[in-house]
Amino acid sequence: MDARQLSHDILNMLERLRIMHDLARDQNFSVISKAEVKEDLQSTLDKLKKDLETLLQ
Amino acid sequence: MDKIICLGKNYSDHIKEMKEAAPEKPVLFIKPESSFIEVKEGIKIPLPWHRGEIHHELEVVFKLYKKNIIGIGLGLDLTLRDVQKKLKEHGHPWEIAKTFKNSAIVTPFKAIRDFEGDWKQTPFILKVNGQIKQQSTMSQSILDPNQMIHYIDEYFPILDGDLIFTGTPSGVGPLKPDDEIELSMGPIQYKFKLVDKTRGC
Repeated sequence: MDARQLSHDILNMLERLRIMHDLARDQNFSVISKAEVKEDLQSTLDKLKKDLETLLQ
Repeated sequence: MDKIICLGKNYSDHIKEMKEAAPEKPVLFIKPESSFIEVKEGIKIPLPWHRGEIHHELEVVFKLYKKNIIGIGLGLDLTLRDVQKKLKEHGHPWEIAKTFKNSAIVTPFKAIRDFEGDWKQTPFILKVNGQIKQQSTMSQSILDPNQMIHYIDEYFPILDGDLIFTGTPSGVGPLKPDDEIELSMGPIQYKFKLVDKTRGC
């Protein structure tokens, strides 16, 4: 994957983290459950770390 | 946010007032993030009247996460109507009539649970200088919210944080510099002012 696409994906993950933050702050789990958000948080953080490390190489 | 996805011709009464034929399905177009401005109470929003008449189109706006609606807001999809009309007459794309700075005015979002009763039955209202210009409910739209997301998903990659402008009901019309705008829908209540970009603010 080229750096531009990687960067785009990373920025989308940061946006996703911001949404998760808003959902947690507002305790807004009527549509997406807390368990789903937690699961997404873990997978997003894992992928974010991996992609950022790749971009740093 | 990656993009704002807009549905055109999603309310029958608006299609009639524009004297246009109803399409098989609502029209889809995109506004860039650079056209977006978030409403704050009392904010003054500069607009480019030097480019022609600017029309208001009041719309319910969805914020998406995992293709679900996690927030509901109200928006004004502003349109350079003269510019759009000329482009339509020549059969050209009319994107530049919809994508200028501040042409996607959006209130902060509320969760569905913040609405009393069925949010789709909650009236959404635009007042200009204290006078009601547009009023409807989400239940009047041609596609329901799930159909909208499904329809959009056929054509655009939906990313987390994307916004959907869900179409405007009847009552669209011109705005003037210094107009006082009020947007309301249940717990969403905001007032702000529009100012002429060339005069500064």
